[in-house]
Amino acid sequence: MLVISGVMNGAIYGLVALGFVLIYKASAVLNFAQGYMLLLGAYLFWFFRATLGLPLAVALLLAMAAGFLVGMLIERLTLRPLIGQPLISMITVTIFLSLVLEGLVSMIWGTYPLQHVTVFHDRSIRMGGMVLTTQSLIACGLALGVAGALIAFFRFTRIGLAMRGVAEGHQIVQSMGISVRRILNISWGLAGIAATIGGILLGGTLGFQLALSQIGLLAIPAAFIGGLESPEGAVLGGLLVGLSESIVSGYVGNAAGVPAAFVILIATMLFRPYGFFGLERIERV
Amino acid sequence: MARAPFYPPSGVYADTYAKDIRILKTRKQRFLAVAGLVLLFAVPLVPGINSPYHLRLLIGAGITVIACLGLNILTGYCGQLNVGQSAFVMVGAFTSGMLNAFLGWPFWASVLPGGLAAAGIGVLFGIPSVRLKGLYLALTTLGAQIILTWIALYGITVTAAGFAVNPARLGGIAFDTPQKFYYVAMVFTAAMTFFARNLMRSRLGRAFIAIRDNDRAAEGMGIDIFRYKLLAFAICTFYAGVAGALLVHYMMWAQLESFTLQDSIWYLAMIIVGGLGSIEGTVFGVVFITVLKELVLVVGPMAQTRLPFLPIGAASGLLLVIIGSIAILFGVLEPRGMAHRWSLIKAFYRLWPFGY
Repeated sequence: MLVISGVMNGAIYGLVALGFVLIYKASAVLNFAQGYMLLLGAYLFWFFRATLGLPLAVALLLAMAAGFLVGMLIERLTLRPLIGQPLISMITVTIFLSLVLEGLVSMIWGTYPLQHVTVFHDRSIRMGGMVLTTQSLIACGLALGVAGALIAFFRFTRIGLAMRGVAEGHQIVQSMGISVRRILNISWGLAGIAATIGGILLGGTLGFQLALSQIGLLAIPAAFIGGLESPEGAVLGGLLVGLSESIVSGYVGNAAGVPAAFVILIATMLFRPYGFFGLERIERV
Repeated sequence: MARAPFYPPSGVYADTYAKDIRILKTRKQRFLAVAGLVLLFAVPLVPGINSPYHLRLLIGAGITVIACLGLNILTGYCGQLNVGQSAFVMVGAFTSGMLNAFLGWPFWASVLPGGLAAAGIGVLFGIPSVRLKGLYLALTTLGAQIILTWIALYGITVTAAGFAVNPARLGGIAFDTPQKFYYVAMVFTAAMTFFARNLMRSRLGRAFIAIRDNDRAAEGMGIDIFRYKLLAFAICTFYAGVAGALLVHYMMWAQLESFTLQDSIWYLAMIIVGGLGSIEGTVFGVVFITVLKELVLVVGPMAQTRLPFLPIGAASGLLLVIIGSIAILFGVLEPRGMAHRWSLIKAFYRLWPFGY
């Protein structure tokens, strides 16, 4: 039971972690605001679904589009002027971005949890002595599906190829006639979509509340354990973190899942510094 | 020389090393420094600004300056990002608080153990990351924030509930009111600031800057990067621990709620706004953000009552948005922070009326 629920959540963490990887690969920036992009995406979905009363599919698509726009907007407004600045200032900017996003959300929607909306119909199924809910099954499936789609996009499309090129080095790609800025912009947009979907799926099970942003905290170790350069690694890392979270909180209790994920992260760093699927850069400085 | 110059006039050079390395080079600078210190310590006696409210703000700012100085040494001088500074403040606070509350150690004896405990735990978390470049320290410090807070909440029963701490005493005086504790806080703040300023122009500080600017070149110059990064981290967390020790003895109560991830982010915002790699910038940033925070805390609830369509909690959201955007603006438009503006003003003063 713990294993199953771990995998379910892990799929979503993997999806969010994919957002980290998308941005990191393109620009070597770790986006600390990912959890808050997730929060904003989930609340936007809530706005379309509950406040405007749109049908589920329309609300989902609108929220995804909004997430894409939010991601692109963030890149345009805050990260682009920083191109060429030290990495550390880019990372701190994403940290402050998380403050701004959280503040915006609580200014518009308040700090209390919002009224619950069901994203998918909830029915429980018995499967070999275990009780599963259709909701979590669909959520898990959707998360894995979207993650798979993003990975395929990365691997097989022109833009995906360009993105991988940007990850290799900006100058070469620029000289091949690919706009680095546009690619960076698109990768932030895609990260926004990944965060939004993750947020909607989590909001459906956990409720739409500010605490959703905590998932960003779990997705960071997921992305790192998998290796920051590897999309597949992010999904696997997400599953691993989800598993360990549910097992540890199941046996230890007391919300020990998040610290456990970070303990694993630090242990990974000690023994496999670039994660399990990451690019090993040998640099002895 | 008609008037006493603030800067050494051009053409006049120091003829001994001792003269050259002085922080305060001219008589006027020395006079201003002493006057500043006197003013700082006279604040509780000046009517109008010596209400407990103002003094509390100043004490809070002073303690925050200590924590931020540490952070600036690590992040600004040595170039390693620390997003868990408040967790180390917590370690210092609880160590010093527990020594005082349960073993009866006086405040003065418990400050150093508080700082050392924080530095010890800091080094523990620093080891896996300092061997790697880039953002890895940011991650372990984030991990430290989460893991240490969790341990304090679930692992140790005393720290989860919070406990009372005795006020600092010196002879027959108990520093239990803002008026009295103000002096303790300012002595520590001034001393730690001076120490940081001195440290950063020593061999150690130059090594930190070399690592920040180009780690390969630094290694080539014979700087042991692993050791110096760890040392920077130890100094940073030591400052955090001292700040924590001061904090619990000032509040006379140790509780977990004062040490959240958000506090760590506040510290970062302060040093970014003030100026990375600048001691006076740290002070500017802390004062600026503290004042801004107070203003928003006054304006926010007013806006909330005037504009009833805003949801509950909008005021706290406003605070986050304002501080976050200011920090981003500084990061994008003025990466060197207020300290840079300050040095421009100083240069203007020095060159006036013949700029260029």
